[in-house]
Amino acid sequence: MKKYHFIPTFFWLGLSLFVMMFSYRLGLGGFHSPGPGLTPFLLGFLLLLISLYVLIKSLLEKERGDETPREGQSRTNYGKIGLVLVALFAYSFLLERLGFLITTWIFLFLLFRSMGNRWMTTWVASTSTVLATYFVFTFFGVRFPPGIFGLGG
Amino acid sequence: MDIFSGLLSGFQIILQPINFLYCFIGVFIGTLIGVLPGIGPTGAMSILLPTTFGLSPVSSFIMLAGIFYGAQYGGSTTSIMVNIPGEPSSIVTCLDGYQMARQGRAGPALGIAAFGSLIGGTFSIIALMFLAIPLAQIAVAFGPPEYFSLICMSMVLSVYLARGSFVKAIIMIIVGLLLSTVGMDLVSGRPRFTFGCGTLIDGIGLVPAAMGLFGVSEVLMNLEGSLEQTILKAKIKNLLPNLQDWKRSIGPIIRGTLLGFPLGVLPGGGAIIASFVSYSVEKKISKNPEAFGHGAIEGVAGPETANNAGAGGSFVPLLALGIPPNVVMALLMGALIIHGVAPGPLMIKQHPEIFWGVIASMYVGNAMLLLLNLPLIGLWVKLLKVPYRILMPLILLFCVIGSYSINNNVVEVVIMIVFGVVGYILRKFDFEAAPLMLAFILGPIWETSWRQSLIISEGKFSIFLEKPISCVTLAFAAFLIITSGLKYYRKTKTKVIIE
Repeated sequence: MKKYHFIPTFFWLGLSLFVMMFSYRLGLGGFHSPGPGLTPFLLGFLLLLISLYVLIKSLLEKERGDETPREGQSRTNYGKIGLVLVALFAYSFLLERLGFLITTWIFLFLLFRSMGNRWMTTWVASTSTVLATYFVFTFFGVRFPPGIFGLGG
Repeated sequence: MDIFSGLLSGFQIILQPINFLYCFIGVFIGTLIGVLPGIGPTGAMSILLPTTFGLSPVSSFIMLAGIFYGAQYGGSTTSIMVNIPGEPSSIVTCLDGYQMARQGRAGPALGIAAFGSLIGGTFSIIALMFLAIPLAQIAVAFGPPEYFSLICMSMVLSVYLARGSFVKAIIMIIVGLLLSTVGMDLVSGRPRFTFGCGTLIDGIGLVPAAMGLFGVSEVLMNLEGSLEQTILKAKIKNLLPNLQDWKRSIGPIIRGTLLGFPLGVLPGGGAIIASFVSYSVEKKISKNPEAFGHGAIEGVAGPETANNAGAGGSFVPLLALGIPPNVVMALLMGALIIHGVAPGPLMIKQHPEIFWGVIASMYVGNAMLLLLNLPLIGLWVKLLKVPYRILMPLILLFCVIGSYSINNNVVEVVIMIVFGVVGYILRKFDFEAAPLMLAFILGPIWETSWRQSLIISEGKFSIFLEKPISCVTLAFAAFLIITSGLKYYRKTKTKVIIE
């Protein structure tokens, strides 16, 4: 069992305990009249059993000297992933404040540029995409937030 | 209504200009997103779901279904030309399709993929028609215990068919079921796991969850590697396969059809499994299996037929039982429910226009797809030249718009991002998202039927064994669990002994 496999196992263990506690408080009822917490409680219990099994099995394997360090891992480009996530969270925060047109344009501009497109491509692509999506979706009856500037509500 | 008059009324519906147009839009978008890697039918249908609110239920179902089976056609183009599957059910097509293209035989590969798809697709519509009606007639008598057992079997099947680890697939099922319990409890009216968030009272939305798990996490995975791809600069000529090609392909096409349809019907199976099974069968029975992976046309014809036959098959459980066997079917079910139509055994009787309209639209749609894909293949290949650095921001934008516009709620976007991160981490630890999603979709029907069964029987579990259909399906599920558990146990045991 590789060391990094312990992380999800502990996570599932924690999750199962949390779910069981939370559903116990919701009320379990009985099998004749199941309460709202019964199903999640039983699922949490099953998850607990399975993660305990995986944990014990991997501990036993470790004792047999099965621990192998992870080698040859290529460097992952976490910078770009982080940037995309920040952009997404920022988008959801700003969408109703600045409105669809402005927020989407900034979002696309940032992403197009950071993916290595040239300035010209970035300008053209983000502007045309914002306008095209806006007109197509509003044509089909989708309503976008106008934001503080009241653009295109 | 007998099959003949039903089909006739279906053709009357699809030949109305508006429905014909939506069928065309559906298969066109389907081919488009099938060609473009990084966005699959799930994503495209989620984005377009809000745009169908204003349409009639028939038109919206016809369009959304068109996207689904259209994507099965388009997916093969990228597999053959770029060695990147446009969507998961075309993964195996890469193996021989790309090799054929490298040997200058891209034309016949694309051609046989399109013809195979047409044959598999058409057969599956006929089989769907003959199977769904009697199945629905039987299913009218189903009560909560039968539904509970059927759903249990679907989830066990998806574990059995999962490509990765057995234990990991079970964990994913449990987590999916747990996620489906979030929201108001329908029996007691009490909120569960909502933590004071109003949006979660209705439960976690299917669209943000699916777009996060399959759309955003896919983008994050792609960002890890290089963003550029190489497209074969081969000229495509002779799209029509020659006599020799046909001779070699006809067997795989027939077998692909016969295998693909039942595998599509099985919940948790679907087009992806069908294509994998077809490839391994063809390789196993071939006289020269060493040719596979080096441009054997059998390796393109079989899987491409099987995935289309499987796509048709997966409509059966949705239309006849009201149980969606995969994410795409769950989205279709969601679309029908929004329009006030409940899919299930009574739908064929209460809304024959939807059932027959969709069946007829699939005949018409498959013919449109052949026309769209063969003469216009050059256009689609050109589209492949759109670089990922342009495509990626667009995919993300569509994911955001799709999850926002369902309820005009920003919290849904946040849920989608969270699911994207979770999906990315799960992939990093080799957990498959598909069983999780299946359990998440089936969870509400599963829980309701299990609680109703217990209430009916006053807490006696024997109710699940007293009903014959429920008893047989549960026994089958138990058999699958035991055999795959034993296989898993033996595998880990031998691993330990070897070490």
